[in-house]
Amino acid sequence: MNLTSVTWPVAAEWTKLWSVRSTFWCLTGTVAVTVLSAVALGGSRATDLVRDGVTAARLPATESVVSASTFAQLVMVTLGMLAITSEYATGSIRGTLQAVPIRGRMLAAKALVVAPVMFATGVLAGGLAAVATYLLLSVPVFGGFVTLDAGEAVVDLLRLGVFAALVSLMALGVGTALRGAAGALTVMFMLLFGLPLVLLMTGSQVAVEASMRLPMFAGLAFMESADNLTGGPIPYPPGEGLAWLLGWTAAALAAGHAVLRRRDA
Amino acid sequence: MISLDHLTKRYGDRVAVDDLTLRLRPGAVTGFLGPNGAGKSTTMRMILGLDRPTAGRALVGGRPYHELTNPLRTVGALLDARAVHPGRSVRAHLVALVRGNGIPKARVGEVLETVGLGAVAGKRAGTLSLGMSQRLGIAGALLGDPEVLMFDEPVNGLDPDGVRWVRRLMRTLAGEGRTVFVSSHLMSEMQLTADHLVVIGKGRLLADAPLGEVLAATAVLVRTPHAGDLAARLTAAGIAVERRGENELVATGAPIERVGDLAHEAGVRLHELSPREPSLEQAYQELTADSVEYGSAR
Repeated sequence: MNLTSVTWPVAAEWTKLWSVRSTFWCLTGTVAVTVLSAVALGGSRATDLVRDGVTAARLPATESVVSASTFAQLVMVTLGMLAITSEYATGSIRGTLQAVPIRGRMLAAKALVVAPVMFATGVLAGGLAAVATYLLLSVPVFGGFVTLDAGEAVVDLLRLGVFAALVSLMALGVGTALRGAAGALTVMFMLLFGLPLVLLMTGSQVAVEASMRLPMFAGLAFMESADNLTGGPIPYPPGEGLAWLLGWTAAALAAGHAVLRRRDA
Repeated sequence: MISLDHLTKRYGDRVAVDDLTLRLRPGAVTGFLGPNGAGKSTTMRMILGLDRPTAGRALVGGRPYHELTNPLRTVGALLDARAVHPGRSVRAHLVALVRGNGIPKARVGEVLETVGLGAVAGKRAGTLSLGMSQRLGIAGALLGDPEVLMFDEPVNGLDPDGVRWVRRLMRTLAGEGRTVFVSSHLMSEMQLTADHLVVIGKGRLLADAPLGEVLAATAVLVRTPHAGDLAARLTAAGIAVERRGENELVATGAPIERVGDLAHEAGVRLHELSPREPSLEQAYQELTADSVEYGSAR
């Protein structure tokens, strides 16, 4: 195996990604939802502080951005999912496999395109969301608690980028395993949002512990979210959150690869 | 070169392709005929490594498809002209293919000119007519300048000019020494294009022979005032004869030339000597009569 056996399929996937409109919708959607949710969450947090009569508090803009991932993740998945489900929907998967018949290599090429694009989009979306949140919360009515520390922000945004890349890869894996967009989207919604919330709401110790290991809370742990649906920090270190995220991503891609190898195209 | 070795595909109880053993020659157009559901497309998909055979194997140049490096440079195939992302431009669709196999990007412009789509290169694939989509599919097959070309029903949706163009293209490609494998349900089309015929029905090989041989096996219609004399003479020569009335008979199992020669030797005057038209259609129907998968009740 030489280098071109990887770089050529990646180049093909890169061309395909940028030659359909859905890509722009996925990326614009990610940015829009991230910015809007961050601003809304930050605004609500600041309003709470003002209403509670708090006079001195520190409210980092990127903390709202990290919390916004709870909603943004549902848009972040579309790019990775469409990268494969659109091929099955149009039948173009056959042309793709004629050019790159080694299926694992085809999937790897898609992953190598989707991951960096979603990483960059996550960082960009987070950056815009942080600035927007900072600007809005600087308005005196929000108490002036907002801060935007460059060092802190860089770490948060890079982590958001990693989170975006990993959930989009998860969607690529699930999409490859299920082939259809409807099924893949349903599974991703349940895995990322429905399941952790249901488990959390049961209140049972085991269920809550399990929900903390699902991608959403694992991501929030990794990004050291202080403000999320659990009402406080996730009870384990960021490294462990990243490990769970990587585990889920690897499992989804492995499932996709197994189906891809076994089934007829 | 393509070789199939006991190639078999089963879906549960249904056998789609049944123990197919074939060798496709370079420098010739091989027509692949069979009724709908006979297993033509499944066979092509197995050759391309898209479907996994239940048994047997398909080799291209002695190797399974997935072992080819930059396969588009060895095999170009058009399976389904509509299997293109409708939102992608014609050019971008082809550019993605050449990039995947390290083919120079200049080839895209060349093949677009070859198939006559140069003017619509920037249009989205979804806006093309079926005929233009076929041309785009053929362009994709030609990109890598491959030795082997496979086309599944390439004249579907083409206008008469397009059909003639495809016919010429197939002949040209075969003339350049390439292996050309074309499936079609248009028997008359194959008669004009193919050198060699592979006929399958219900997944089984029914015929694998030069076009001439398949045609020779078809019936010859003879009109003569001495039908009785000629029938006797032909029967004596081992040719099956069916009397069609006072002045008409149908001879099967001999080339038309031989029927004419025998008539001449017997001093029989002929008023008509013709292949029962369309002859390939006839041969094909005879071959596949028992193996029509989705035939209508008669």
